[in-house]
Order: sequence, then C-alpha cells, then structure tokens
Amino acid sequence: MPDITVSVNGAARTGSVEARKTLADFLREDLDLTGTHVGCEHGVCGACTVIVDGRPTRSCLMLAVQAAGSEVTTIEGLAPDGTLGALQQAMWDSHSFQCGFCTPGFVMQATAFLSAHPDADEQQIREALSGNICRCTGYQSIIDGVLLAAERGRQG
Amino acid sequence: MAQIAAERYTGASIKRSEDPRILTGGGRYVDDIKLPGMLHAAFVRSPLPHARVAAVDVTAAQALPGVVAVLTGADLAAITIPGPDPLLAMMGGGGPMPEYSLLATDKVRFVGDPVAVVIADSRYLAEDGCDLVEVSYEDLPPVASAAVALDAGSTPLFANLGDNIVGPHKRNEFGDVAGTFAAADRVSEFRIDVHRHQNVPMEGRACVASHDAGSGVLTVYAATQSVHVTRLGVAMRLGIEPDKVRVLAGDIGGSFGLKIGASREELAVAAASRALGRPVKWVEDRGENLTASGQAREESFDVRAAVSDDGDLLGLDVKVVVDTGAYPVMGTMVPSIMEAMLPGPYKLGALGFESMAVATNKASYVAYRGPWASETFVRERVLDLLASDLGLDPVAIRLRNAAPRTDPPATMITGRPLVGVTTTESLERVAELVDFPAFRRRQADLRARGRYLGIGLATFIEAAPGPRSSDEPQGPMALESMRLRLENDGIVTLFTGQMPHGQSHQTTLAQIAADEFGVPFEQVRVVVGDSDVVPFGLTGGSRSATMTGGVALHGARQLKVKVLDFASHLMEASARDLEITDGKVLVRGDPASAITVEEVARQAATGQFAADVDTNLAVEATFDGGEGGWSGGTHCAIIEVDVETGLVNVERYVAVEDCGALINPAVVEGQIRGGVAQGIGAVLLERSAYDEDGNYQSATFMDYLLPTACDIPRIEIEHLETVPLDADVNFRGVGEGGMIVAPPTMVSAIEDALAPFGVRIYEQHLPPARILELIEAAGRG
Repeated sequence: MPDITVSVNGAARTGSVEARKTLADFLREDLDLTGTHVGCEHGVCGACTVIVDGRPTRSCLMLAVQAAGSEVTTIEGLAPDGTLGALQQAMWDSHSFQCGFCTPGFVMQATAFLSAHPDADEQQIREALSGNICRCTGYQSIIDGVLLAAERGRQG
Repeated sequence: MAQIAAERYTGASIKRSEDPRILTGGGRYVDDIKLPGMLHAAFVRSPLPHARVAAVDVTAAQALPGVVAVLTGADLAAITIPGPDPLLAMMGGGGPMPEYSLLATDKVRFVGDPVAVVIADSRYLAEDGCDLVEVSYEDLPPVASAAVALDAGSTPLFANLGDNIVGPHKRNEFGDVAGTFAAADRVSEFRIDVHRHQNVPMEGRACVASHDAGSGVLTVYAATQSVHVTRLGVAMRLGIEPDKVRVLAGDIGGSFGLKIGASREELAVAAASRALGRPVKWVEDRGENLTASGQAREESFDVRAAVSDDGDLLGLDVKVVVDTGAYPVMGTMVPSIMEAMLPGPYKLGALGFESMAVATNKASYVAYRGPWASETFVRERVLDLLASDLGLDPVAIRLRNAAPRTDPPATMITGRPLVGVTTTESLERVAELVDFPAFRRRQADLRARGRYLGIGLATFIEAAPGPRSSDEPQGPMALESMRLRLENDGIVTLFTGQMPHGQSHQTTLAQIAADEFGVPFEQVRVVVGDSDVVPFGLTGGSRSATMTGGVALHGARQLKVKVLDFASHLMEASARDLEITDGKVLVRGDPASAITVEEVARQAATGQFAADVDTNLAVEATFDGGEGGWSGGTHCAIIEVDVETGLVNVERYVAVEDCGALINPAVVEGQIRGGVAQGIGAVLLERSAYDEDGNYQSATFMDYLLPTACDIPRIEIEHLETVPLDADVNFRGVGEGGMIVAPPTMVSAIEDALAPFGVRIYEQHLPPARILELIEAAGRG
C-alpha cells in the first residue's frame, strides 16, 4: 500500500492507504476526523466537502493518494481551540441547521466561498451553495448565516 | 458558555445547545462509532424485481481474505425468529400477514431486496465479497403496479396469501352518503394520483451491533426515532428478552419517518454480531438508501364529490388503492388515518371511504412526514377543481366550506371535534398578505405579454396531538413520561424518550423546564438516546411539542414542589413562602435568604435529615396531552411557469400557521420551511421511479433530484396563536404540516398559471417534461 503524507489542519499526517481509498475515508477512518460526513459517495450532496489547497473539494470523489503533498482543511480545523470561527458563530446565531449531517460540508463550502467573495449577495451565495444538499431546513437559515457572516466581516 | 438573558426562555428563539458540536464536526453519528474488533457489513441485493432464488453460492466470497463470514437468508432464518416487520407487528395493520424471512430465502420481491450479508474487516472488503456471491435467479412475472396487483391472475408475492391484497377491501360511511349524492345539484368525478417519493435523510439507515457473550447483552448503536421501539423490534426478531437489548443513539442525520423500529438489514446485522461474537457496523450507502430503505405515497384515489351550484361541498365518496411495495410496514395502516382526516376543517356532511392496499415488486411503503398527507392533497385539489368549474376563487370556496369556530365546536363527520381550529383566520390572513386583486391584475398584464404566473393556496389541519378524547383507544402513546432530577451540581436533568434527529429537543425542552423550575437555561440538561435510562417514547407524529413540552412543564413544576418542600427544612420557612429564581431558592421578597439549588441538592445528599424529610429530589412525571388541539394553517404560492421549458420558478411562498404557543420561534419556522422544501421537491423534482417491469430508475442523486438552495425561495411565515385551550400547555406540533400542505399549494398555483391553456391537474408530480405534456394535451383538447 502506498505511504502518503498529507498536511491536515496544519499538521503533517502520514498513512499507508490502499490506492482505492477515498480521501473522505482516509480522514474519517485513518485520522479519526469524523467531522467530514459521507452523504452520497457520488459527488452530488456535498456533505464531504473539505478544502484542498484552498479549493472546496468533494472528499468522496478524491482518492487519498491524490491528496498526497496537499494541504487539507476539515471542519475540525476551523475551531481548533474550541472557539467558533466567525462563520460558525453567525450560523449558530442564525439557527442555520437542524440534524447537522450536512453541516460540515456547508461550512467548508461557505468558508471557501466567503474567503474569495466577501461581498457576495444572497443570489451569489445561493448559487455557491447549490451543490450542497440539506434535507432539513429549506436553506433559508443557512443562507442567512452566511449573509450574516459576510456582513460582520465587512464591518470588520 | 455565556448565560442567556431572557425574561422567559419559552417563546424566545434561544440559540440551540446542539449547535456548537454540530458546527465544529463534534456531532456523533452512527458511522463515527469505532469499537475494538469491529467488523463491517455489506449486503448482496437483488438486481431483479421478482424472482425465485434457485441457489446462493458463497464459496468464493468466503475465501476472500478479510471476509469473516457470509450469511445467507437461510443462515439468518436459522438464528432469528420469523415474523412481519416489528413495527407492523406491534401496531397491527389488520388484514393478512405475509410470511417472509429476514433476508430473501425462496424469492426476491424488489430490486434491492437483500439476499445475503457479507461481514469483513472493512466495508471495502465486504463489498468485494458481495461481488463474489453468486446468486442464481429464476425470473417471475413482475407485479410492477397496483393495477397488476389487483388482477387476481397476478403472481402472488407471498406464498401464504394467494393474491396480492395485503389490506383487504373496506368501506365505511359517515352521514347519509346516498341521500347527499342524490340530492346534490351536481356530482363531479375525479381520478387523482399521488406519486412515489421518499424521505432521503442525509444520513441513511445505520447501526453498530455489539453482542457481549458474557452478559448476554446486545448493544445496538442506532439511528432511530425511538430507542425503545428499536429495542423491542430487535428483541422480538432475535428471540431475546428486551432487557438484554440496549439501544443507544447519538446524533441522527434526519429521518422524516424512515428510521422507526428496526429494519430487516439492521436485524440481520444484530444477528450477525451475536453469531460472530464481534461488533458489526452497517451504514447504508446512498444507492441502498434510494433503492431499498423504503418509499412513500403511491396512492390513487377515485373521488366523487357532491356539490351545490353555490359551491358547498356536501359529500365525498373516495376509493383509495395504496401501493405498499413489497414488505408491508405502513401502507396497510395509513388508509384509516386518511379516512379520519379526509373531512379536514370543512363542514363536509357525508363521506364514503373505501380502501385497499396491495403488494407490488417495489421497495416498502414507509412513513414519510405526514404519512396520511394525500387526504389533504385530494381534498384541496377537489376544492380547486370545483372552484374552477363553478367560477369561484380558491379563497372563496374554502371560506364558504370551512367549519365556523363555534362553542361547542363543530365536529368532523368522521368524529373528531374541530376545537380551536383557525382555518378561516388563516385563509383571510393569507388573502390579505398576498393581495389577490393586485396579483390578478399583474397576472393579466403579464399573460398578455406571454408570461404565465399563477397563485395557489391550500389549507390543512394536523392532529398534533389532536383534541382531547375519552373514547379513543388509549395505546402506549397516550401518555408521555419524563424523569427529572436535581443533581448535586445544581443541574436539572430531564430524561426523555424523545429521540431528536433535527427537532432541537435538547434546546426546547430545556427552555420550558428552565422557566418552570426557575434556573438558567444552561442549567438544564436533556438526556436522550439510551434505552436503559430514558422512558418509553417516540419522536414522530408531531407529538413532542405538546406531549413532551407538556411533561417537561408539569414535571419541572412537580420537581420544584419537592425541592421547595425539602428547602423549607433548610431555611426554616414554609414551602409556601419560598420560590426559585435564577437558580436560587429564597424566601419571597428576601434576597438575603437566597441559597443556590446546587447547595440545596448537596444538603439533600448528606442524608443528615429525619426519616420523614423527603431528600429524593427527583420525580417521574406523565402527561396526557391536556386539552390537546389541532395545528393548522394556510399556505400560498405565487409561481411562474416557463411554457417553453416547463420550468417552474417559485416567486413567493407565504405560510400562515397556527401551532398555538411557540416554544422557540426559530425552531418552529425551521420545521415549517423544511417541510415546505420537501413538498416543493415532491412536486417539481422528486420521484421514486420504476419502469413498467419493476426496474428501479432513481438510484442516484442524478436521478432522484432533491431541491437545492436555488430551488427553494424565502418562505414568509406568520403565526396565529388564536385559541388557548389548556391552562398551561398550548404548544402544538409543527413537524409535518409544511410537507402536508405544500404539495397541494404548489399544484394549485401551477394549475392557475396554466389556466389559459385549459390545463386541469389530477396528479402531484409536475417536472418540466410533464408540464409541457399537460399543456400540449390540453391544446389537443
């Protein structure tokens, strides 16, 4: 089995993985980072979204070996000291989620999007999150959380 | 955590205590569980809708390194107890009970039917093993529709039944049906179909089973709406005493009615763990979820409506056929609820109701958010069709037929009193909010320019929990229980049988108990998800707001009496003169006397009191729902149909809702929006499609389309809190209403948009291709 080294949430992590193992399974099973959720395993629902080298990425469609040498950020990397990040706080304030299963994917997708588009309006946010499926909320509360984070960001 | 400042928590949008963990990846779902020595299960599933299983050869699979065991249907039959679905067995659906095994032995009955389970060191290896299991099938004629199932010549799915009727024909009449139809100005007939669609929680079904041979205890980590129902199901089918089964549940990634009890796959995993003496995990993948977890709502209705020329709906005569799929669970139980609910909030004076349920070669019909919802779809559709025939507007025909709020209350022709129902108020308020006359002007202007806007509305009531009634059977769900305890650290702990999977009970129940007992919100802990610890209960049927909110209120009140009685010994004051405020017991009006509840609890634990002093600061409370009541409301959609592409854009969606007193408005509104989104999805996108031979067509998210953030509009919500019925508990359930009423609302709006083409709609699934067909068919006239 190939040995790989991946930078995960700022720390170098190594492992021996089967070539067929997905990045999602490597994170969850080998590194015990179970915050990344697997919702469809065919790249549609977005629950497994992590940030790879700055880009939001479906970790169910990427093999762990493809991530060798990359920098990966997972949901666990956003609040390492237990203090919620600005987006997480805004989502808490907005009652963004219900069951929580899709949550890590939305948070990672929105984190990547907001960092590139801090001035995004509602329609742009809806489009940016339209590759993530939530079955509980009807999306409005999630959109409101991202809008609130963007607004707070602008107020600095 | 910072303390929340609020006069009262109840009624405020208190931030959820669940959120810090789920926002940081700290939620704990079944797939996150890792036990020492744990194995992984994958299922071999039938590729055919209906076939005899001639042989199952597991030799190659068993030889694969990493595969620990392969259990066939026959292997599992030898170590489990035969019987129907445990939930069906517990609740009883009436009618014949098909006989079948846990996994297929003699035959398979739908695409996805499990035939064998491979247990291996990893899920990857278990799936490799599945590829090596050789199953020889002999095709049988598929029973791919209710029409085929009703044919006495169709091949029976179940050998012990002889035909495919699993819910025998029943007919009941309420009021003078024949007389009403004979005397009516007109009788209209409609055939209305509701299509098959499904729950699709983002987390599928999942369990980890771990049998301990020493103690004989089987621990099941489950994704379930009730740890106790799952426990009873596992005990029943594994043939062990319920007290030897412990069901634990943590975070659950949605359910919407799917995860009740114990499914065939979960029972097989539990049996495998016991047989192998090792923990076994199974997490359903999306293909399994879409193919085999269960589907809902395939029903057809033949409706006759007796109506006056003025638009009074005088009587309905409805014949429903439910397509229950292969292994009956919910499909045989649902007609009786439809029958009871069909009159809705209207003055309907006569109802004839006939039902049959049939087995077909499709996945099982399961509960999905508002399982009986098609009665609302049918009734509201009929009202729209009649309104269009009679030249009435959709608000007017509903206002005309709505039962007035009187004292004593009007009674549905099927029996239940419409106590506190505010249909008229919600209809009037919706009409005001959307300004019908202004919309009609805009609609006419845009039609002249080739744009097709439509407005539609629908109204509903939901028994959440329903009016108090003494003559209904009092089942195990008639009472809700809760244990409450003041801990030595001053925390008030609530033990509830509710099993939240998105409903925010750890927040809402704490709000109620904090107010009633007199401690800060952060000082209440809600314990769920351990069958050894929590009382019996079920999260479902929109029951928790009233039933569990009510038992939290009354239980906290009882606990407070106990704590004050005990504190009166410490404080040398009469309990009558004591109060609890902000976590402190004090003599009323004397702040200097205050001691913390923590100190009171610590004193009680010392045991330094006379025998007649009750130092047990715990209560076991029950609540019967009090005066109960209905939830209900009216929804309205304004949509535009692109008649070139058939695409529907939802421009505006308004909900006026009455669920009594709100515990947490943000939570209530989240429930409403989520239900509406599922209803919009059901109409515009979602369908569990089978071809005419019973082959499943919707096994991926590219085929089964779910609504995204671009499909669901902002949903405007206004609350009515018109009629308090109970002295204390006026919270009513709100979980299902959105999903019940959004489909008729959307279909009503689409029909209105297509009125210039003469389109009339008798179905619920309206994707673009279907809308274009309807326009074309109407054009052909």
